[in-house]
Amino acid sequence: MPPRMHLPALCWLLVTGSLRGESAPVSFYNEVMPVISKAGCNLGTCHGNANGKASFKLSLRGQDPNDDHMALTRDFFGRRIQPNDPDKSLLLLKATTDVAHEGGKRFGQDDEAYRTLRNWIAQGAPKDPDRARLQQLEVTPLEQVIVQPMDRVALKATAHFSDGSRDVTSLAVYEPSNTLVEVTADGLVSSTQAGETTVMVRFLDQQVPVRLAFVEARPDFVWQEAPEHNLVDTHVFAKLRNLRLNPSGLAKNTAFVRRVYLDLIGRIPNGEEAKTFVQSAEANKRATLIDTLLEHPEFADFWALKWGDLLKNEEKALDRRGVARFHRWIRQSLLDNMPMDQFAYEILSARGSTYQNPQANFYRTNRTPVKRAETTAQVFLGTRLQCAQCHNHPFDRWSQDDYYDWTTLFARIDYKILENKRRDQNDKNEFIGEQVVFVKTKGEVNNPRRKMDAVPRFLGGDRLPDDADRLDALAQWVTSPENPRFAPVQVNRIWFHLMGRGLVDPVDDFRATNLASHPELLDELTKAFIDSGFDLRHMIRLIMNSRTYQLSSEPNQTNAHDEINYAYQQVRRLTAEQLVDSLSTAAKIPVAFNGYPLGTRAVQISGVRAIKTRTQKLSPGDRFLNSFGKPPRLMPSETERSNASTMGQAFELMTGPLITEILDSDENRIALLENGPLQTQEKIEDLYWSSLSRAPTDAEYAPLMKYLEADPGPSRQRLQDILWGLLNAKEFALRY
Amino acid sequence: MSRRHFACSSYYQSSLTRRDMLRVGGLGMLGLTMPKLLQAAEKTVRKTIAPKAKSVIFLFQWGGPSHIDMFDMKPDAPREIRGPYKGISTSADGIQICEHLPNVAKIMDKVTLVRSVHHTMKNHNSAGYYALTGHSPIVDDQRLRDSLDLYPSYSSVVDHLAPNTGEIPTSISYPHVIADGSATPGQRASFLGKKHDPLLILEDPNDSNFKLPQLSLPEGLSYERLTARRGLQQLIDSQSRLLETSAEARGLDDYYHRALSMLDSTKLREAFDLSQEPQVVREAYGRSTYGQSCLLARRLVESGTKFVTAYYSRSIGGQSKTSGGWDTHGFNNTRMFPIIEDYHLPITDLTLPTLLNDLEDRGLLDSTLVVWMGEFGRTPKINSNVSRDHWPQCYTALLAGGGIKGGYVHGASDKEGAYPADKPVKPDDIAATIFYLLGIDPKTEVHDVGNRPIPISAGEPIMNIIS
Repeated sequence: MPPRMHLPALCWLLVTGSLRGESAPVSFYNEVMPVISKAGCNLGTCHGNANGKASFKLSLRGQDPNDDHMALTRDFFGRRIQPNDPDKSLLLLKATTDVAHEGGKRFGQDDEAYRTLRNWIAQGAPKDPDRARLQQLEVTPLEQVIVQPMDRVALKATAHFSDGSRDVTSLAVYEPSNTLVEVTADGLVSSTQAGETTVMVRFLDQQVPVRLAFVEARPDFVWQEAPEHNLVDTHVFAKLRNLRLNPSGLAKNTAFVRRVYLDLIGRIPNGEEAKTFVQSAEANKRATLIDTLLEHPEFADFWALKWGDLLKNEEKALDRRGVARFHRWIRQSLLDNMPMDQFAYEILSARGSTYQNPQANFYRTNRTPVKRAETTAQVFLGTRLQCAQCHNHPFDRWSQDDYYDWTTLFARIDYKILENKRRDQNDKNEFIGEQVVFVKTKGEVNNPRRKMDAVPRFLGGDRLPDDADRLDALAQWVTSPENPRFAPVQVNRIWFHLMGRGLVDPVDDFRATNLASHPELLDELTKAFIDSGFDLRHMIRLIMNSRTYQLSSEPNQTNAHDEINYAYQQVRRLTAEQLVDSLSTAAKIPVAFNGYPLGTRAVQISGVRAIKTRTQKLSPGDRFLNSFGKPPRLMPSETERSNASTMGQAFELMTGPLITEILDSDENRIALLENGPLQTQEKIEDLYWSSLSRAPTDAEYAPLMKYLEADPGPSRQRLQDILWGLLNAKEFALRY
Repeated sequence: MSRRHFACSSYYQSSLTRRDMLRVGGLGMLGLTMPKLLQAAEKTVRKTIAPKAKSVIFLFQWGGPSHIDMFDMKPDAPREIRGPYKGISTSADGIQICEHLPNVAKIMDKVTLVRSVHHTMKNHNSAGYYALTGHSPIVDDQRLRDSLDLYPSYSSVVDHLAPNTGEIPTSISYPHVIADGSATPGQRASFLGKKHDPLLILEDPNDSNFKLPQLSLPEGLSYERLTARRGLQQLIDSQSRLLETSAEARGLDDYYHRALSMLDSTKLREAFDLSQEPQVVREAYGRSTYGQSCLLARRLVESGTKFVTAYYSRSIGGQSKTSGGWDTHGFNNTRMFPIIEDYHLPITDLTLPTLLNDLEDRGLLDSTLVVWMGEFGRTPKINSNVSRDHWPQCYTALLAGGGIKGGYVHGASDKEGAYPADKPVKPDDIAATIFYLLGIDPKTEVHDVGNRPIPISAGEPIMNIIS
């Protein structure tokens, strides 16, 4: 020590203990835990894993500091820390890779993180249960559009404790939702390309999402005013303008008619329907078409199919009779335009014989409290609870206690199995025969974390009133206009079906860390939905009459990279049922499905497998549906259906048994054309309108005429080839 | 899961200096000796793995073959355990196998036996799913339903992570979809997506008309006519801008292009054309569905398929001498030993050596991993029907080629063949070994249906059996 030191400085050094080599008391909860999170020690890929790593297990993302304190200070014979020689603590040696560490170097000896941990260890690694509590994590900005050449934004995080506020910008954890951006340890977000991202900012047990959009400069960008039809356009266009994207133009009538038929009734328009619409001079024909199709019985068929998927209406659990009745009830509800809250209410409160009260099939197919709880949350509240069964949900607010308290609401449902005529006595998953769903008077599920009975409590809500009927109370709570999730989730599903992507995506994954792309739009649509009395058709009409819905699927110069802001309609493959029904419509020939009368359309199929494959083979139509992703209905989610293309599907459409059957039939459109009075040119036009909802272009006429007339014999083969070309065209298989 | 004490694991990975070791209490206290520690310290993190195998042939013995009567003889056990068969010496020193497998005995110098495989799934579908994916189901459900929250087959994982480019598919499975009351999960791609399903062939390779259905055109349609049709399709496609503006459209068209190449290609068609094999070769494998399946496996590997799965039978069987799998309980008045003597053992004795020798003669054995195993073994204690029931607690898997040691035994069962006595191995570890030999890191993560990141295998490669 230098002989002459400034007196105040000396005193200050004494007071802070630096002279003696001591430091201010380090808070385990408020300082050590953030360091552990910031260094990434407790992620699921590292020591936060369910099994830990190298026998060192921390709670996932620091959700259980008390357990972590034990792991750090007591486990492993207390060898992870060395209070009498802190720098030799294994914890520090590993983190700095002074000793080999599979997790790599987490920080260096000169870093603040090291000092914090070291000082804590030197102080004997105490816990401080009386520490100040975090009340709120505040982050700015919460959202921002950053226009090039700006390529970065600095986030600032402030922790409001019960005893004051602190800047925790360098202590918070920053997690971007995609690889578009990089974030430094001090919260500086930078990007090299245009795009949108959400950065999750975490400190202790709180997290705040920040939405950022990096936008190309486009100095000569001019916003093109487009007429707004309704509130959908107001919101969508406002965001596009902010992002410097111009929406594409309106879809042509030929594209529009095809799109609307597919979206509302699940098939392409036939030639007559398409021509009539395209050639009509009526001023409001688009709105009129939407109204007309909404009243079409095929609308109920197609949308009943969607609910059949979600409610897992399949034969193994519900048997054929149950499937038919459940389907009939769903379809009738849609025909009657039953309000969606009532629809959900009837399902959730259902009990009784599954034959007499088909709504009770919901509980017949979900046979454990866990399954009922998870399915109800996913289907009606858009909430994926599964993760919370084993630990606090890593991405959402649900704790294990929330999970079990919700699950126990479903604990008393039981079944009187009147008969089970399944052939396979070893199959516990198969039920053939009538069952009665009833509610017992006692019983709760066990909460394994607390090792006692769970307390019946609505998800994130209040306790169940003591004398309430559980199912009625549950149904009431879920479908109440005050429930923050029910209405937006229904709206989101409707939006998803019409626009190809939910405002929240995935469609049933609402959580704090998965924000809607257009939150205000979702709010307004939700309000409109509730105000309309949860009216499905009202919402469909609202969305489909917007300009946004009616945009072309062709991108323009400004918007080609956009996939989530609705600057143009996204192209997607027809679903399995839409494809089969469209093939049938285009070729004017019914497709057979085993177990159903000929003439049944694919969208009308009530279940999954009507016949036993051990006794009957699948028809080419059944096989086609399987190949193109008709779901087995084992999961209560639209995501079970796969609309991705595969090689096998290409083979099906090229040379498969169904397409061959359709083309070769003696009673199809080709047979009609062959024997009919139309001229060659008219025959070609007929095929075009019937399959692609348009006339041939000039460039198509000549080669096709030539093709047809090249062979002086009967035109059958040639017509088949042309129809094959049309049915295999991209315009056919895709909705655009 | 290793049996080492949990507290010691990090020591196996730390590079402690001698001074450190003395400071933390000396060697003896933790039961460690210096060499072991040094050995452990040399273990480095695997990032890229040099593949030893180019292909895998997975011969799935559906129904559960008896380990005690085939590859893990117990001559010193009481009669009600050891069964009626004697052991014979083989081309591998110190290894004995069943007397009814004399030809297999001649090729034991090419294989490794893992005699300590174990798990707890007692039912065919749950155990079968485990064997085909390397992941245990949560419930030992006899009729486990094939849903998206289950894991994909090895063949699908390989197609996802290390696919072939070109016209030969990465993974091909045949000639059945196996089932036990319901289709057994684990045969397809599950949450990886349908495009990673293996190419599935349900035709009988022993049939004189055997050919790949996709490669055959419907009656009345020639390849020329199909080409003309494709021309019309392309004319129509050129009228819209979909191919320019939509990745979805381009992806679909790409499949058409590949499908047509496959149709036009001779390579794949020839691989499936068993009539090109000399009769004597076809006879050598035996003119049975399974025998010709083994021959087809060799041809597919030759043509460049990466993962071939050949199922022994469609059903678990065990009650017939002419068809069905290994599930010989002695039900319905049948008896195990006469059945396996007349059917299962001779077929195995014919096909396995022929396949391995054939691969070796063509210089393919070093680059082809052959896995022969079922979903479990059979009970050590013979039951009241003079047969054996399911036994997952300890059974044998056979591996050969593709970097596997020859003439080797890994692990051991106890004196009754009931539980692992040394080096227990789970199907997860066999999965990890398969991936490892193909050069795929078993810790590679994929995202399941809940978007959770999960490793493709939770096991560890059995380094001991790799040469």
